Amino acid sequence: MLACLCTVLWHLPTVPALNRTGDPGPGPSIQKTYDLTRYLEHQLRSLAGTYLNYLGPPFNEPDFNPPRLGAETLPRATVNLEVWRSLNDKLRLTQNYEAYSHLLCYLRGLNRQAATAELRRSLAHFCTSLQGLLGSIAGVMAALGYPLPQPLPGTEPTWAPGPAHSDFLQKMDDFWLLKELQTWLWRSAKDFNRLKKKMQPPAAAVTLHLEAHGF
Amino acid sequence: MLLLHIWLIQALVVLLVSESIGDLVETCGVINPESPVILSGSNFTALCVLKEKCMSTYEVNASHIVWKANRVLIPEEQYTVINATTSSVTLTNISLSNVQLICNILAFGQIEMNIYGVRMRVGFPPEKPKNLNCIVNEGKKMKCQWDPGRETQLETNFTLKSEWATEKFPDCKAKPDTPTSCTVAYSPVYFVNVEVWVEAQNALGKAVSNHINFDPIDRVKPNPPYNLSVSNSEELSSILKLTWINPRITNVISLKYNIHYKAKDASAWSQIPPEDTTATRTSFTVQDLKPFTEYVFRIRCMKEDGKGFWSDWSEDASGTTYEARPSKAPSFWYKIPPQTQGSRSVRLIWKALPPFEANGKILDYEVTLTRWKSRSQNFTVNDTDLTVNLTNDRYIATLAARNLVGKSDASVLTIPACDFQATHPVTDLKAYPRDNMLWVEWTPPSKAVRKYIVEWCVLSDTSPCVPDWQQESGTVHRTYLRGKLVESKCYLITVTPGYSDGPGTPESTKAYLKQSAPSKGPIVRTKKVGKNEAILEWDQLPVDVQNGFIRNYTIFYKTSNGNETAVNVDSSHTEYTLSSLTSDTLYMVRMTAYTDEGGKDGPEFTFTTPKFAQGEIEAIVVPVCLAFLLTTLLGVLFCFNKRDLIKKHIWPNVPDPSKSHIAQWSPHTPPRHNFNSKDQIYSDGNFTDVSVVEIEANDKKSFPEDLKSLDLFKKEKISTEGHSSGIGGSSCMSSSRPSISSSDENESAQNTSSTVQYSTVVHSGYRHQVPSVQVFSRSESTQPLLDSEERPEDLQLVDNVESGDGILPRQQYFKQNCSQPKTSPNISHFEKSNQASSGSEEDCLRLKQQQISDQISQSCGSEQMEMFQEVPATDAFGSETEGQVERFETVGMEFTVDEGMPKSYLPQTVRQGGYMPQ
Repeated sequence: MLACLCTVLWHLPTVPALNRTGDPGPGPSIQKTYDLTRYLEHQLRSLAGTYLNYLGPPFNEPDFNPPRLGAETLPRATVNLEVWRSLNDKLRLTQNYEAYSHLLCYLRGLNRQAATAELRRSLAHFCTSLQGLLGSIAGVMAALGYPLPQPLPGTEPTWAPGPAHSDFLQKMDDFWLLKELQTWLWRSAKDFNRLKKKMQPPAAAVTLHLEAHGF
Repeated sequence: MLLLHIWLIQALVVLLVSESIGDLVETCGVINPESPVILSGSNFTALCVLKEKCMSTYEVNASHIVWKANRVLIPEEQYTVINATTSSVTLTNISLSNVQLICNILAFGQIEMNIYGVRMRVGFPPEKPKNLNCIVNEGKKMKCQWDPGRETQLETNFTLKSEWATEKFPDCKAKPDTPTSCTVAYSPVYFVNVEVWVEAQNALGKAVSNHINFDPIDRVKPNPPYNLSVSNSEELSSILKLTWINPRITNVISLKYNIHYKAKDASAWSQIPPEDTTATRTSFTVQDLKPFTEYVFRIRCMKEDGKGFWSDWSEDASGTTYEARPSKAPSFWYKIPPQTQGSRSVRLIWKALPPFEANGKILDYEVTLTRWKSRSQNFTVNDTDLTVNLTNDRYIATLAARNLVGKSDASVLTIPACDFQATHPVTDLKAYPRDNMLWVEWTPPSKAVRKYIVEWCVLSDTSPCVPDWQQESGTVHRTYLRGKLVESKCYLITVTPGYSDGPGTPESTKAYLKQSAPSKGPIVRTKKVGKNEAILEWDQLPVDVQNGFIRNYTIFYKTSNGNETAVNVDSSHTEYTLSSLTSDTLYMVRMTAYTDEGGKDGPEFTFTTPKFAQGEIEAIVVPVCLAFLLTTLLGVLFCFNKRDLIKKHIWPNVPDPSKSHIAQWSPHTPPRHNFNSKDQIYSDGNFTDVSVVEIEANDKKSFPEDLKSLDLFKKEKISTEGHSSGIGGSSCMSSSRPSISSSDENESAQNTSSTVQYSTVVHSGYRHQVPSVQVFSRSESTQPLLDSEERPEDLQLVDNVESGDGILPRQQYFKQNCSQPKTSPNISHFEKSNQASSGSEEDCLRLKQQQISDQISQSCGSEQMEMFQEVPATDAFGSETEGQVERFETVGMEFTVDEGMPKSYLPQTVRQGGYMPQ
């Protein structure tokens, strides 16, 4: 047992995945992505406040909580906790990537409708940031060796306000977009925190692995 | 003039030709390439292609092409004629940044015409930009800057490019005025790495910097924390709590901080240890501060991990720590004003504590006074002094300062009884400036000292000494004066030791914080000026102008054109003697007083040395006058003593006619009318003083002495001749005897037959002597009177001959006189001298004569009478002789009056001096 441990330790520097001095691995990028989600969450908080004020009452009222109507195309962030826990890294990252790809498209439509220059600038910056998040998630996926999900033809989300939509319903869609975005950012923060924790203690993982080996 | 004219014409011709050709330039030829950009230092070849039309018009071909660069002809060696229409030029190693290249032709072989011109741009390709660096100021857009490298001398564009892995951002083109930096157009996205590089491009090339990849959050410069505030704690007077609001970036990153603080008046900041502020926070408590002190704080922040940049400093915020009990007892001393009868007035004084010891606002002072074995008195004072009336006993005074928090320790002071004698002074008291402070140092006395009181004041003649003071502990023996001291002022510093039983003897010294040259120089003046020396004196400079300790004086003195001489004088002197001066000279003297720091001249003073020393004139004049007086006195005395003798010499003995009497003469005395007539003749002349006439030539030689004396008499005679023809000459001994003119004499001689009064001579007195009126009785006889008078003289002479040799020659001479007529006035001089020399002898003789006259008179023979017959003749010649005659007459007359009876003419009674002054 001891000899085995010693042998493993002797060969430890040669294990590429554990060589800390070389490729930093996905750890830092996961951390960065986590920080970015927090940053976007904070950014969105001020943006949403501004935008809801722009939409006017009742959307800017703090206790305004309408039922989700007409926003079916928006990716849902809410998921059963058990399901969320059971998600593997690839699926978790893929869901995030797909959700933000869609949300970004909707958001760009929102940007086009925005009336004030200041709001447009804020939305544009948020879009850029969200684009950055997408890139970040793609980076993490690449680092972990997962392929990027291919957008399905025809399911390309579009924001085409049809004549069917009334102004109120339109605003309702905007409201839900921002709300869903916020929920996704919360969820992503948790996702990446989980990933981060998973990646952070590699030594402990090695020990665990050795223990397993020993048995 | 002619040259100028020709030149003008040429210029005009060229101008006209150029004008006319101007239209043709477009079609005459072209340079290829048209706008070249050339690498500096490289070679360049340009072609000039002529057009056929031009060539035929101006009869030129490519060989007529000349090139000019910046109006300077390019040498032909650089040309190459390629064909009939084309010429090329090769420029080597071009270094100028801007070259104007012109192709010209020589029309008709000589007229130069411009064909075409191009401007060549010369420079370098851009270098690779280095040191690319970006900064993201919180809330602003990212700004990157770089080092562009070598100056290209060409228009160079710098473009900042940035991209994500998935997306490119728009380029940022640097503005021409800031080619080393660019601010991107988009807001930075934190936590997403961005790749940034710079491209530099100009006509000669393009260069790209290294790519840098970074997360903008690692290049952030946060905004400084704001709303910094400071609060104190009543519980702890040594702490202050800082609170602030963090910049918004704390929502996404953690911060660390730098906190600086300082006391309000301090200049340097202190820093809170950085390890105490390594995490995001909004407050901090600073400890170990001084009570009741105002502190100033500032704060800055940066990303916790140290990536990025420190923010600017926040605005300063200040706060004051809470009060604490005064940490030290105040300095405490007392003054006793001049004594008043009965009670003793004592003024207790103390110093307000400095803020760092007061530890708060001093509300009041508590003073207690305890007399020996009696109840203590308490006073609460807001001021820093208290005047109390004490008995003559010993008192103990205590003082404590009180602030909001508490009381200080008490200062104790012993006020001794009235009859207390101070002792034990400090020794070796010294005061000296160092480091712009005035230090006082002393040797402690043997007795244990509680504390020292150091007092000082400015010494001045114009203002009183207002002392300031400070207290030092008993262990100190060196301190500096903690007051506002002024340079160039004399400080009187007094150190008093304080013992448990009362104060010791004070000791004083003087010092300057910084000396300087005196503001006025000493005024020098002379105390006394002698012929060769001068005593200078001056007053000590007043302390107000000294500005330092006067170390010495220098006296400069010089004559108006001479070199200046300097003399150093010790400062203790107030006078100095300049010696070795030249007499009768103007001296300029001035004086400089020196402190350690320099000197100052006083006003110049001039004085003139006298020609003579004081008393010198007197020393000369007085003795001379005295000598003169003495000489005069001696002379007078001599004259007085010898007046008779002198009288004899100067005034002839004039017979007093009033005392004359007629001598008896024998009837056979031969008539002398002839002689008389002779007399008459001569008396008209001026030979009044000649009595004897002639000397043989041989005799002259045998009597040189006589000759000399004759000379003297000659002079006298000359002076006499001038003013008088009367009897005798004038001299100092001249008497008031009236002078009778010879003519009168002669008249009287002629009228001797009359019996009436002979004459009355009235004169007004000579030299204040009272004249008397002399009445002369007329003689009965005429001429024989003189004969009879002279006879005794002859007898006398005869007698002399018998008794001594000395007179003998004269007798002979007289005899000879008788036998020869005398005409020469010269001879009379000799005669005179003889008279003078023999004057004294005559006197003696006359005495003898008196004694023997009786005996001789009888035995006088006719022979003698004969001799006397001659004598009157000589009498007639001069008044001198006449004087003698007159004298004899007087004798004769007296004789007549006294005897009252005529006798034979032998005057017996001739008094000494013969002559009878009135």
